[in-house]
Amino acid sequence: MTGWPVDVAFWVLAVGAVWFGWRVFRTDSMVRATFALLVSFLDVGAIMVLLLAEYLGVALFFMMAVEMTVMAIFMVAYMMNPAGLNPMQMVHQPRVAVVAGVLAAAGLAAVAWFADLPSVALVAPQDTIRELGLEVMGESMILMQTAGITLLATMIGAVALTAAHGRFGEATSGSRPPRLDPDAEPVEQEMARPDPHAHHGGHG
Amino acid sequence: MTPATLHPLLAVVVGGLVLAGGAVVVGALDAVVGAAVAGDPRPATAGVRAWRRVVLAWRRPGTVTERPDLVLWVVAPAAYVGVAALALAVLPLGDGIAIADVRTGIVVFGAVEVLAMVAVFLHGWAANSALALVGAYRFVAESLSFLLLSMFVLIAAALPAESMAFGEIVASQQGLWNVVRQPLGLPLFTVVALGTTFWGPLNLPDGADIATGTSLEVGGPAYIAWQVARRAMLAVYAIATSVVFLGGHLGPVLPGPVWLALKSVVVASGFVWLGHRVGRVPMDRFVRVAWTVLLPLSFLHLAVTGAVVLL
Repeated sequence: MTGWPVDVAFWVLAVGAVWFGWRVFRTDSMVRATFALLVSFLDVGAIMVLLLAEYLGVALFFMMAVEMTVMAIFMVAYMMNPAGLNPMQMVHQPRVAVVAGVLAAAGLAAVAWFADLPSVALVAPQDTIRELGLEVMGESMILMQTAGITLLATMIGAVALTAAHGRFGEATSGSRPPRLDPDAEPVEQEMARPDPHAHHGGHG
Repeated sequence: MTPATLHPLLAVVVGGLVLAGGAVVVGALDAVVGAAVAGDPRPATAGVRAWRRVVLAWRRPGTVTERPDLVLWVVAPAAYVGVAALALAVLPLGDGIAIADVRTGIVVFGAVEVLAMVAVFLHGWAANSALALVGAYRFVAESLSFLLLSMFVLIAAALPAESMAFGEIVASQQGLWNVVRQPLGLPLFTVVALGTTFWGPLNLPDGADIATGTSLEVGGPAYIAWQVARRAMLAVYAIATSVVFLGGHLGPVLPGPVWLALKSVVVASGFVWLGHRVGRVPMDRFVRVAWTVLLPLSFLHLAVTGAVVLL
């Protein structure tokens, strides 16, 4: 695609991607940070559509939308921050992050600046999606399958960690509820959980 | 075949009219079908009388909650109707008439369903209210359970067309509609349609059991906007169902867009009838049935369709 509307769209999306990427670290909530990152990814996906990688661009839309939603929920589950509405510090290891960020940006800028990139405008190539399919299901199949299995194992692990009940019993087994006074010892009794299999009380 | 597109300015007008008109038609159909189900002696006028309830809802104020996320609260219905417009854009509205019948049509449609999930989640989350948040979480669990169904059903429809473009999917139904050729597709896609629009039996995020969930704290124009967005999305799903399973704009004598409109009204009537006649499915039962029954069924559907195409 060519023409001034494409140039305008590119710059709007590029600035949007950077702006929302920056907002990720300026907000105080896990949910807001996650969805700011999603908007940044959506901008990148739209730029890929402009570059006629339309399958990859649109696939980025739905993959990132699912991924960010699930991430928001798991983040909230692990962060002990109910619904992500309580203020919290979004930055950790800031010095390392700054160094890594500057180095990565410099590296990418160097590639953009010094690499001999083609500058011929593509006009509606017909076979890009077919070629992508042949690549993914052909040459790169081992790579894609390995990545897929790794992601699947990670998902199963994450679900197993958050499950309230697993093969080793209740997740809260042995935990004791805290008292309102932060300095006091926790309650003697273990946390009571309703047992779906027992219709009568008794243990405790 | 090169994908057909409308001029951008015309596309904005057509898209806006179809979304707004579709929302009104779905609202009127819902009232008429509801009145007929209830045994109203004048069901045909129920659609007009429903406007009174719209006025009432417009005048009812919302709740002031503690520290809501006002930006996301306003953005959520706009995003929901925006992704409905994106879905409409890739659907062919007549022979050679489409806003953008792109090659990646079904992938765009999948992206729309996922982004709709984000919009509903944010609508419930932004209110900073317990039951609204429960609705938001429910919708994510519900969506993740039916999103794969949608993908398998749409891929199955794309197989005989040998294309992911909806225009080619319609063209592939020249001899036989997909509703006959792929019998499991329509029922499975109905689950997706009712799920994404959280309609009737699958109205879990805004269900009455959690005091209307994500729309609990909104009133007046914000509530109307949310309900209009849902109805616009249901209209888009009625059009998509007609396109994927009922031959879209194909039909004798009458022009293509008229055929598509007629089929879509029939499909939308079916959706709202289900909404009135089927009780709300409990959350955990829906998730269990979706993963253990519907998902294997959709995979079987895809495998059988693939085998038939190869033979």
